[in-house]
This record gives sequence, structure tokens and C-alpha cells, in this order.
Amino acid sequence: MIEAMGLTKRYGAKTAVDDISFVVRPGQVTGFLGPNGAGKSTTMRLIVGLDRPSSGSVTVGGRPYAQSAAPLREVGVLLDAKAVHTGRSARGHLLALAATHGISSRRVDEVIELAGLQSVAKKRVGGFSLGMGQRLGIAAALLGDPATLILDEPVNGLDPEGVIWVRTLTRQLAAEGRTVFLSSHLMSEMAQTADHIIVLGRGKVIADSPVAEFLANASGAAVRVRSPHADYLAPIVQQHGATVVPVEAGLLEISGLTAPQIGELAAPAGIILHELTPIGGSLEAAYLSLTQDQVEYHSQGVPA
Amino acid sequence: MTATTVAPDRSQLSRLSFGGIMKSEWIKLFTLRSTIWCYAILIFLNVALGLLIAATLTPSLVGGGNSQFFWVQAATLGIGFSQLVTVVLGALVITGEYGTGMIRSTFAAVPGRVAAVFAKALVFALVTFVIGLISIVATALLSAPLLAANGLAPDVTDGTAWVAMIGAAAYLALIGVLSLAIGVIIRNSAGAIASGLGLVLVAPAVLGIIGGITQAAWMQNVVAVLPTSAGSRVYAYELAGSDSLPLLSSDGVLHFEPWQGGLVLVAWVVVLGILATVLVKKRDA
Repeated sequence: MIEAMGLTKRYGAKTAVDDISFVVRPGQVTGFLGPNGAGKSTTMRLIVGLDRPSSGSVTVGGRPYAQSAAPLREVGVLLDAKAVHTGRSARGHLLALAATHGISSRRVDEVIELAGLQSVAKKRVGGFSLGMGQRLGIAAALLGDPATLILDEPVNGLDPEGVIWVRTLTRQLAAEGRTVFLSSHLMSEMAQTADHIIVLGRGKVIADSPVAEFLANASGAAVRVRSPHADYLAPIVQQHGATVVPVEAGLLEISGLTAPQIGELAAPAGIILHELTPIGGSLEAAYLSLTQDQVEYHSQGVPA
Repeated sequence: MTATTVAPDRSQLSRLSFGGIMKSEWIKLFTLRSTIWCYAILIFLNVALGLLIAATLTPSLVGGGNSQFFWVQAATLGIGFSQLVTVVLGALVITGEYGTGMIRSTFAAVPGRVAAVFAKALVFALVTFVIGLISIVATALLSAPLLAANGLAPDVTDGTAWVAMIGAAAYLALIGVLSLAIGVIIRNSAGAIASGLGLVLVAPAVLGIIGGITQAAWMQNVVAVLPTSAGSRVYAYELAGSDSLPLLSSDGVLHFEPWQGGLVLVAWVVVLGILATVLVKKRDA
């Protein structure tokens, strides 16, 4: 269980995390979403005491992380793949971390195997790909068999097999009753992994709810309808309260009605439908609509 | 809650301990190539320079001086150069962690931070002391017959000479820890190494020249309390029967006994160590 209370972090004049409060519960995967610069990584660093909060507090299992008698057994953390000395071997790195807590070299070899690093365990980390670095970071997080896992962008740089591995692993860890706190930019990935979602925008919590509720509340859900009779269909659905956006000839985006409702309206009017696809209402769309105004770094179109 | 609970009794499991942190720092030190290289160079410099001078010293060259003095000189001659290696390595053991991001892994495992830095300094000091001592003793034992062949008569049963040699190894370790403290403060390899070498190599040379030209007592005293000058008194072999000078001579110039010089060096380490400790607690990692 992670509990943040009025957590604030300022770097000079810039407020990275602005008075946020949230609870991350055990037994489920909690997704931590937000655009670049929203304060996700800062929040995670605050939880494990690498950064000092400007005000407020955060506890893990009821007390500040630094007061734990066995921090690595309390919290396993993947902050970024670069928190490793490039001149040391993967096994050397894990052995050094394990030694602080008297964790056996058997456990080190266990997590090496778990992360699929056997073939490169003796190689220096400097030559690792981004994906290998991530696997090493996750192996390090698992060393102490911790009750809480904090993973910052764990699938970053992983191949599809690795992405599935992380998904399966985090689901399994949560099923064992652990607290799993996971940040990601990949909304589709989060939709398949998380039970609960906390969205951060410009240092503030802008959503904190179960995934299902998050989707239900999301604005912008629409249905894409392709029909040779699009011009006839539009006024019919509008009469039933829908909003129609013509995309191109014969293609509409209708919001305010579900796909079955639109199909049932079209049938008695004898309107032929070539496509009836619910769009939006995905985590991706919900997230984008939610964070539209919260994005710190907008990409601009390339000037003509 | 439907999920099962994890590891019912976690209190039986091993915890964070200072011994564990020491072991961790030991593993960290010896799993990097830079460590092996630096210590190899340190041993080479101590032994090679010592033997070189021992092989070339003759009674006519030293003017029939005290054999013990020149024996200790030969055994510790390399220190002037190998101290630069300990400065570099002392800085690297900590700035290497800041530069690569390893420090975040270290401080996540040891959130109190100070224990990790202390253990690092302690392990580095002990290893440097032992390796320094072995290389100096080896040099002393190898150079004694060389000196004897040249007509000098070193007495290997002279306890004072051995104390000076142990002092030389301690000096290497303390200079290394001083550089480590600078590394904690500066957090950048290039900056820390430059500052360390500046303090150890450049400052005594430049200030010494100024002191020599001006003959100002205060300037000579500034040079005397620098880590290198004060510290080098630790491994000075005092000629038997020589008049021991007062701490402050009549013309106001400081003169340290070996133990006093050692205390001055320890004071440097303590002051910079306290500053480093305060900063490491205060800063974001």
C-alpha cells in the first residue's frame, strides 16, 4: 500500500508535483499515466526517498520508505534502465545490491533466470540494449521479493515477447497480493494490465478510478459508420440526440448513440451499412481527451 | 480482498545491515576494471620507483648519510606518484556512480544514504591501505639488499623505519578518502579528479614557489598545512639524534612531527567528510 498525502515537489520555480494525494492498493495493478513532464517519475522517486518532498508526505506500508528495516524487501523499484554502472556485469550489479540486505547469490541467479538474462549475466552492462537494461532493472526490483513494486515505464524498449512477459509478471505479482504501481505511456498496454488508473497532468491528479469506470466516464466515444446512404442516416440519428461529424463522403462519426442503437435505427429506414465500428471509448481516447489541456510539451506540425 | 497475502512472516528474512553494505561496496569495488588497473599501477609505481632509486644510490651520492633515512626514502619514493592514482580512484568510486545513475540504485537500497557512503569510504580506505602497505613493504625488503650491495647498511630490524612505512600506506588511504569526499561534494568525475589533483599536486607546487620567493612565514605555513605536505610528514623518517624542532619555530614557521602531520591530514578528511555527509543527506539523488 502506497499512500501519498499532499505530496509536492518544486525544482526552483517549477512545480513538478503539485499537492497530490492518492492511494495505491495491494492486490491489483495500478497504472500511472500522464504526458511527458506530468510528474510521474518525480512521484516515483519521492516514494522511495531519492527526492525529498517540498511538502507533504508519502508512505509505503504505513511508514516512510527510508524507515524500513529492509527497504529492498519492502519495495522493488525500477526507476530507469540507466541506474546501473555501465562497467559492471549484470550479475555483479545484482550481487552488490543483494549484499546490502544479505540476500543470497541463489536469489540473484533466480532473478537473472526470471528476467531471461542468463546468456548476458557476465557481460558488462554498458553493452546492453535498452530492452536488456530494462530486464536487468526489473530483475533488480524483484531481488528482495518485495511486497510493493514500483516500475517506471517497464515496457520501454522491450520486444513484444518482453512486453507480454512484463504484463504476465505484473498481473501475477498483483494476484499474489502485492502492490504493483506501473507507469506507462502505452495506453493500450495499460488497458490490458491495469485494474486501477491514476492520471497525472501537470503535477496534479486528474483522474483516479478503476479502469472500467475510467472508460465509462470518458468523453469522446463515437461510432464510425460507413454507408452509401450516409446523408439519409444523419438526420435520423440526430433526431435521437446523436452528434454527427461527416468525415468524408459516405463516412460519419456518430457520438451519443451506441453501435447497436445506430444499427437498429438504420434497419427500419432500409439504410445499408458497410461499416459500424465503435471508436474512442478506448483507454487511449479517454486518456487523450482527459490530458488534452494538460500536455506540457505539444508537438507542433511541421511548418509547410 | 480475494488475493492471497505475500510471505506471511517477513520478519525472519535478512535485513539491511552495515556489514551487508560493506560487503556490497567490496563487491562494487572489485567488479570494475578501473579498480584493478588503478591498484596495478599503484603497486607498479611504488615498487618500480623504489627499486630504481635503491639500485642507483651509492654512499658517494648520499654523502655517507644515514642508511635508514635513504632506505625509507627508497621504500616510499613511489608515494609521490601513486598518491595521484589513489586520488583518481577515490574520486571514481563515487563519481562513477553519479555519472552512470548507479547512485539511485545504491540509495534506493540504502535510503539512509550516509551508511552507503561511509561503507564505501571505509572499504576503499582499507583496501588502499593494505595494497599500499604490501607494495611498500615489498619494496623495502627488495631494496634493502640492493642498498647493501651499493655499500649502504639498512637495518631491517629498525622499528621506526617500519612505522614510517605503515604511515605511508595510511597516507595513501587518507588521501584517497579525501578525494572520495571531494567526489561526493562535486558528483562529477572530471571535476572531482581535477579538484583532487589540484589540491594534491598543483596547490603545494604553486604555493611552495610563492612561499619560496617571498619567504613569508604565513605562506610557508599555508603550504605546511596542505594535505600533501602535512601528510607526507607521516612517513618521514626522522634522523636519529637530530634535534626535534618546535611546532612553531622562532621565525613563525610551522613544523609538524609525524603524528601532528597525520592529525592535520585527518582533520582535512573529517572536515570535507562532514561537508560531504551533509550534502549527501540534503540533496536529491
